[in-house]
Amino acid sequence: MDKEKLNSFIKLLQKSHRISILPSFDLGLIVKEKTSKINNEEIFDEIKKIVPVEKIIYDESTFDEDIISKIIDIFKKNKWIFLEIKKDIQSLLLNQLKHLANHNFLQLIDYKGKDLVQIKMPENCRIIVFAERNFIENKISYPHFYRLFGPTLSIK
Amino acid sequence: MREKFEGIRFKSPEELKEEEIERKIKERGPEGEILGGIVFEEEVDSETGEKKKYVYIGNPYEERPIIIKLETEASREEIEEIKKEIIPMRESFEILETMAMTYKHRQPLLIEGPTAIGKTFLADKFTELLYGRNVKPLDFYCSGQTDVSELMAKWVPKVETEEEKRKWHEFLESPQAQIELSKIAQEVEEKRGWSQEQKLALIHTRLQELAKSIGLSEKTQWRFQYGAVPKAMGLIRNPDGTFSFDEKRGVGFILHIEEVGLAEPQVINALLKLRGKRGKLAEEIQLWENGGKKVKAGPKFWVVFSTNPPEEYLARNEVDPALARGVVFKRMGELSEESLHLAAEYYFTYKLGKKPEEKPEGCILDIYNHPEIGKEIAKVVAVFHNDLNKAFKKGEKGRQQRIPLTLDDMARVADALIDIQIRDKKTGQLDLTETLKRLIHFYYLDRLADEELKEMMKANLNELLEGDTGKIEFEGKVCTRKEIFDILVERASMSKEELEEKERQQKERELRQAKYAAQDALGSLLNNPNIPDSIKEKIKNIQL
Repeated sequence: MDKEKLNSFIKLLQKSHRISILPSFDLGLIVKEKTSKINNEEIFDEIKKIVPVEKIIYDESTFDEDIISKIIDIFKKNKWIFLEIKKDIQSLLLNQLKHLANHNFLQLIDYKGKDLVQIKMPENCRIIVFAERNFIENKISYPHFYRLFGPTLSIK
Repeated sequence: MREKFEGIRFKSPEELKEEEIERKIKERGPEGEILGGIVFEEEVDSETGEKKKYVYIGNPYEERPIIIKLETEASREEIEEIKKEIIPMRESFEILETMAMTYKHRQPLLIEGPTAIGKTFLADKFTELLYGRNVKPLDFYCSGQTDVSELMAKWVPKVETEEEKRKWHEFLESPQAQIELSKIAQEVEEKRGWSQEQKLALIHTRLQELAKSIGLSEKTQWRFQYGAVPKAMGLIRNPDGTFSFDEKRGVGFILHIEEVGLAEPQVINALLKLRGKRGKLAEEIQLWENGGKKVKAGPKFWVVFSTNPPEEYLARNEVDPALARGVVFKRMGELSEESLHLAAEYYFTYKLGKKPEEKPEGCILDIYNHPEIGKEIAKVVAVFHNDLNKAFKKGEKGRQQRIPLTLDDMARVADALIDIQIRDKKTGQLDLTETLKRLIHFYYLDRLADEELKEMMKANLNELLEGDTGKIEFEGKVCTRKEIFDILVERASMSKEELEEKERQQKERELRQAKYAAQDALGSLLNNPNIPDSIKEKIKNIQL
């Protein structure tokens, strides 16, 4: 694994944008290429060495509402999120990922008794979405998935 | 005597005001740059005598712009700040003008245009122009999985255990869910003579039956939730700036439904409820979920739909014709090359946002203070962006995912260039060429699945920066972009004294060259047999 590239990727995510049309922070994407033999855990562990991060796995056994709650919980801990995508992203989570990508906040309707709530992504938090290239290309039905992210790290 | 005054008339105060606003809308800077387009005015309401704030929006590229006046909650300072964030591209003002016009007339708007055109960005800015900084519209993003209930309304069971939660979600994700819920909707809608209470009781009974059939408790309690559409119809702004839903007092808010081209037919059917009379938005909608109770749209409720053109989607989703008929349909083409270059120049000369007060960590050269370098970078990145966009149009091999480029990609490179810089080991100065290459890889190339295209674009970038085809004329010489970057970086890296010294040396060199040239010329005159000796004597006396 190219650690220098990973470091640059993290550095790019850490920085907050100065150009005003951009959201303050970007969401990052790590794509594991078909040819890569690197273990997913290894990638997560490498990131863990650089920044405080927690993993969330989005798969068939999870529900969007729970994933959103977990994201809010990790935000409260001021940590980064490594979100491993293993099933096609459903509407609820996709909506929130878009809010995070465009505005760095979650926009929730009827959350804890409030009609319309915006939960800001704290300054020290970032989200790295991790998925395999094959999976993105064949299973993610939202056609503009890559557009949600700023820097992308391709792992070969 | 009377004839003398024919054709002369006095302008009314309204006309004079109109002319003043038009002049401000069309205002340009010393280099012809657009300064107008958006104008803030504070005026006294002639009926109430109350001071009100207005924003005027018009397309400054038009000779006779249509100018729309809208009441705003934003302050003059806020409007000025928002204005600074909008790159004055022709396309941006065309969109803003349409938004203002349709908003004023409560007409739903659908903008179909490529990603780079800035639909989302301008919907956000339009909302800010009306409500103040950092107020975003209620955004709803469509996808193939969008559930109608998220848009309109739903009943949610109060589940006690994880097991019950799992069962409910599994049911919702099953194809059966849509069928069962549609059955309830149909049954409720058929009970035309029933009161709302009776209908609600029926819904409750059916939901309890449903709960039982999927393994939930028969005594499950249900909570009713409005979706994005009714919420936006009845939102009201609180004194603290937050928004609440109020069925009676709600004035409504801006709802932006994005990527409507991806929505499934059932979602479109639900959205058709928003069509009102004479091309306007519906004044109320009726939902079966709350027993047929009508939800009123407040006067400030407005919907803007946006979508990418069908060719940007794999399935070539056309906007549903019924929806297209019920909205003001604005089709936008690709961003012109002129606008693309303008955007690139704005980004790389750092006209948007705040420049760092001190050199940030990682910054070798304060590139944000050197617009002469920014202009050269802008040329390179705009060309690369355009080339890659053209390559994408042909389709990336074996791709389901689309990667339409956005101006944000370019902005990201500019932003990162401030403090992610690589040093040239030989000179100790910024290696701009290498830095730019790296950043373009991260923000443009690493997304590409097609290795062949990636390699081709890498080679193109190298050629553009260092090869013969990328060469352009610079200060009278033909140079590669890398050479130009190196010259500009060297100049910018020098201290004032060093720069003055370098300029002095250069002048000296030029003077020496001129002297040698003059000596050569005089020498050739002296050797010329046709020149009389008397003249040659005079030439000999010339002091160089």
